[in-house]
Amino acid sequence: MVLICVWPAPDWSMSRPTPCPVYTLRGAGAPLNTLHFSCSRGDTPLLFSGSAKGAVHVWNLNSRRAERVLEGHGGNSVIWVSTLQTGDTLISQGRDMRVCLWDLTEGRSEALDSVWTGSVGFCQCSVLEMSPSSYLLAFAGLQTEETKIIEMPSKNPVCTLTPDTKLGMVMCLQLWKPDSGLGPLLFAGYEDGSLLLWDVTQRSELSRVKAHPEPVMCLTFDPGRLRGVSGSCEKQLSSWMLDDQNHIQLQDYVTLVNPGVSQLRIRGDGRLLASAGWDHRVRVFGWKKLRPLAVLQYHTDMVLSVAFSDHQDPRQRLLAAGSKDQRVSLWSIYNQSANTC
Amino acid sequence: MESISSEVRLKVAQCFRTLSSSSADHTDVFDALETLNSYLDDGAESSSCTAAEREEFRRTHYSRTLRVLVGQLQADWTHSLSAAQRSQLWDPLFLKGPPDQALLVLLEAVTQLRPSAGLDRLVSVTERFLQGGRLADLLWSFCLGSVPSDSAQLRETLLARLAALPDLTANRLHPNNRPLFTPQRFYPLLASEMLAALERTCRALRDGVDCSLTFVAQTLGKVCLQGHSGPVLAVMAPRLAVCTRSDMVWQRVSWKLLQDVPERCMESVLTGLLQAADSPDAFSRIAGNLVLTNKKAEFVLTHKVLLLQYKYETRVLRTVLGYLASDRDRRPLLIQVLRSVSQAWANPSAVKHTPQEQQLYVSKALLLAASLLTDAELQELRSDLLQCLLGGMQSHLDSSAVGIRTLGLVVGECLSARMDLSGTKLKFEYDQNEETRELLSLMTPSVCPDPDPDPDPEVAAGSEATRESSQVKSASRRSKSDPDSDLDSDDDLPPYDMSGDVEASRAAPPRYLRDCLEALISSDDSLRVELSLNAAESLVRRNVFAAKEISVQMTKVLLHMEDRFSVSGFLVLRQAAMVALTAVDSVPVTQYLTTEFYSLNYSLRQRLDILEVLALAAQELSKPAADKVTAAASGLTPYQSNSAAGWRQEVEKRIQNKTKRISKGSGQPRAGAAPNRYAPVAGYFFFPLLRNYDKPEVTFDLLGSDHLVLGRLIHTLGLFMHLAVNAPIAAQMGAALLDFVWAVRYHADPTVRRGVLFAVCSVFLSMPSQALMMDLSQQLLETRTWLADVAEADPDADCRNLAVQSLVLLDQNLKKQLQNPNGLSLEP
Repeated sequence: MVLICVWPAPDWSMSRPTPCPVYTLRGAGAPLNTLHFSCSRGDTPLLFSGSAKGAVHVWNLNSRRAERVLEGHGGNSVIWVSTLQTGDTLISQGRDMRVCLWDLTEGRSEALDSVWTGSVGFCQCSVLEMSPSSYLLAFAGLQTEETKIIEMPSKNPVCTLTPDTKLGMVMCLQLWKPDSGLGPLLFAGYEDGSLLLWDVTQRSELSRVKAHPEPVMCLTFDPGRLRGVSGSCEKQLSSWMLDDQNHIQLQDYVTLVNPGVSQLRIRGDGRLLASAGWDHRVRVFGWKKLRPLAVLQYHTDMVLSVAFSDHQDPRQRLLAAGSKDQRVSLWSIYNQSANTC
Repeated sequence: MESISSEVRLKVAQCFRTLSSSSADHTDVFDALETLNSYLDDGAESSSCTAAEREEFRRTHYSRTLRVLVGQLQADWTHSLSAAQRSQLWDPLFLKGPPDQALLVLLEAVTQLRPSAGLDRLVSVTERFLQGGRLADLLWSFCLGSVPSDSAQLRETLLARLAALPDLTANRLHPNNRPLFTPQRFYPLLASEMLAALERTCRALRDGVDCSLTFVAQTLGKVCLQGHSGPVLAVMAPRLAVCTRSDMVWQRVSWKLLQDVPERCMESVLTGLLQAADSPDAFSRIAGNLVLTNKKAEFVLTHKVLLLQYKYETRVLRTVLGYLASDRDRRPLLIQVLRSVSQAWANPSAVKHTPQEQQLYVSKALLLAASLLTDAELQELRSDLLQCLLGGMQSHLDSSAVGIRTLGLVVGECLSARMDLSGTKLKFEYDQNEETRELLSLMTPSVCPDPDPDPDPEVAAGSEATRESSQVKSASRRSKSDPDSDLDSDDDLPPYDMSGDVEASRAAPPRYLRDCLEALISSDDSLRVELSLNAAESLVRRNVFAAKEISVQMTKVLLHMEDRFSVSGFLVLRQAAMVALTAVDSVPVTQYLTTEFYSLNYSLRQRLDILEVLALAAQELSKPAADKVTAAASGLTPYQSNSAAGWRQEVEKRIQNKTKRISKGSGQPRAGAAPNRYAPVAGYFFFPLLRNYDKPEVTFDLLGSDHLVLGRLIHTLGLFMHLAVNAPIAAQMGAALLDFVWAVRYHADPTVRRGVLFAVCSVFLSMPSQALMMDLSQQLLETRTWLADVAEADPDADCRNLAVQSLVLLDQNLKKQLQNPNGLSLEP
């Protein structure tokens, strides 16, 4: 008599089955280029998404419906959305070469102001809040290699950063402010695979490495550990760190199964790294050692963006992925120390 | 003069008389002993006799005196000697006189006496004799030519006794042998005594005294000839190497010593010295230009060690060739050696008939010699070397053994690089292993081991200590950085299953076998071909009926398929698909493949593929198909378990609970019986391949140049035979196979011979022993002699092992058959 155990005994140590999304958001009607959570303030957790048809959807994560749709870019693709910590201000960047500011207080949805960038590329802006009333905005400029930084909301130009050699278009930016008291610094990835660190106040280049043979598609930096990672259209993620002299040191490479990464994000607690892959998959790594932890398969087309939510309660934290297949999938993984999916 | 000799004779005779007459009073015996001792006391002023008397005694009476003493070992007075008296009166007689005579008498007595107190006494005297450095005195006396009665016969006896002392004592004293007499202690002692004698010789030469080294050389030769060159030269060579470094006298002594070694011992001395010398320089200092003056030495060093023997380490080769290269007079010999070695390397017959180890050895010698030549000499030898390179590489590459081909490639590469053929260099791809790396390293001239004579132990220890401390430091540094990384680990995040993360494919694999076949035949889309090839095996196995319809056609397509798109794992995938086809639809596919094996216009690769596919398919068929049965069962059971199996299981369990068992049988379920799928079709695999082997085609000559395929074919046939064990057809198969291999059993190619022996082994294993004996009865003896001959003399080690294996199997079969009561059927 052969006794068959239909369900194999769970072996958590080796391989848990791949997780499924908690729920998905449909109805945007266009590829979703960018996602941004806003869960720490107010009572309703929100998710903002920018679509290729120029709409910014505001999703209510309790009702799982789109509360509002903001259309301010004249049908041009929205490539970046973000909110400020202070006040209900939303910033969106579109391919119509404009960055729009929205006031969302008390259910309003009106465009307050807009900035003309002049950039025809896909480079997403970066924002850094200096004080409750002012923040810096970095964006790619009119010229190919130029990056502009302005102070908002006064729109005073701070500086224009242009590298002295030909590096191609600016592909991605990240502003941050070190604890050491130095002025704000800017990471910029360029079309030839170079990665530059700029000092915004001195307007000087601090360090430069060739991180990839192909254009740098995305980068993300963890100011707590002074480590960052960048992705390209090939199979490798390149991780690097900043030393005492503010020099970028390349560390190691993580090889992916399929090439192409559109976005990289580190979770707020610095434990997870997520990548949006061109192969329809979201990959999750342990941030400390870049150990592969999970491959999330749901989408049927390129994943264009990933975002970790900023819930106060760590157990509610979500991972969202927006894809070219017009859906947003939300995942809940590694939310507790002894985690079960 | 006369008076002195007669006087001494009288006195001695009187002493002898006293010693032999056993009187009760021993005082006159002691007096006699004292008198005898006084003849041996050198330089003692008080002694009562003159130097002439002493000389006379030593020359004529000493030996006899000792014999009398030995003869009186049982006498009363000998026993009554106190320990002090013995060491004062008795022992000195043996230890102070001429050492050669003393040694002869002692050893003679030791060999003749029965175990007794007297023998013990003699043995301890012999031990003291050795410990007291008397051997050096003995050798030295021969160096000076001061031995009174020197005759060839005496020398020969003395040499024999000296060299065989450990054997003599071991035979006689078997359980009570002294540690000093063991070979491990005696030969190093003898070596250091020889060194002492040489040292005295050097001193004497400086003082202008003539010496002869013949006896020392004879001793050295004799000892080495008896196989003790290792321990003796391990002591002598380093010392000689150090002494000859700066001292001309020592050099002359050392050269003379080796020149005086008798010719028949020369080889063992030289080979021992080669192994003991730690660098070519040391050997060259010790041996001097011996190779130019001594014919035997020349033969050994330039011929025997290089071309006839191959047991030595590479170090010895380095020493020999470095020795030949290190002097201007000897360099012509190096060139001569290079010529003969290169001829030996390139000789096609040698490549075929000598063991691979020897070829490796010769290759090493060739590379070493080439690396030692100067550029001018190389120019001179260029045409010879080129000739050797071209011919030799061809014959090496023709060989079917991978090792020999690699050898050809490596040597060709190194030689061409060395010769610098107008800037062009050969460059081959081969597997890097220890052997090739060693060969390549030979081309770079070795840095001589540090010629420091006695490395200061303290300095060495100091450097070791610093190294250790630095290691400790680095370890501690590492451990400092460790905790940080430990804290940093992601280990508390258990990974999910990531097996689904595979390369995204860009098209769907074919779902039907015919689509797959279509794609393989005609598609120009690399992706489709790759996917089809990947899917082929599983499609064939899943749709057995569809596969049977097109099996032959698909096999044909696969057999002729070329790797146009460099698909990864092409060969493996193609082979797996063909094996699946053969296993699913055995009869037509094997018929097709076996016919194609002998037909025109196939490459060797394709023919080898056919053989491999057949062999793998036969293996698969012969395995019990149990795994498939259980897989099918596990797929079905869940559906049944809801209805039928559930209650049955429950009832079964209750019965088990109520039943008491005294003892349980084996817990393991027995392996289920499954029909052997190979047995019914074994003939289809086997016999067609035997049909046409002797018909040479234009492109395929199995018994001629294509011996690689022949070896493979025979091996595959042997495999079919092995898998057919217990099949009814095994007897016929075995008989046919034995007939077939009989014709090629002395093939020149070792792979073929290996295949033949494998086939014979498998016949002996698989054929029923009764049928085997019936069949073999005609040629049983011949087979045995053939196998014994191979086991003993084949140059290939694998062949020898296989032959031994076959012999054992044959004997087992024979024994089984003879024990069998029905075995009388052996008579035809």
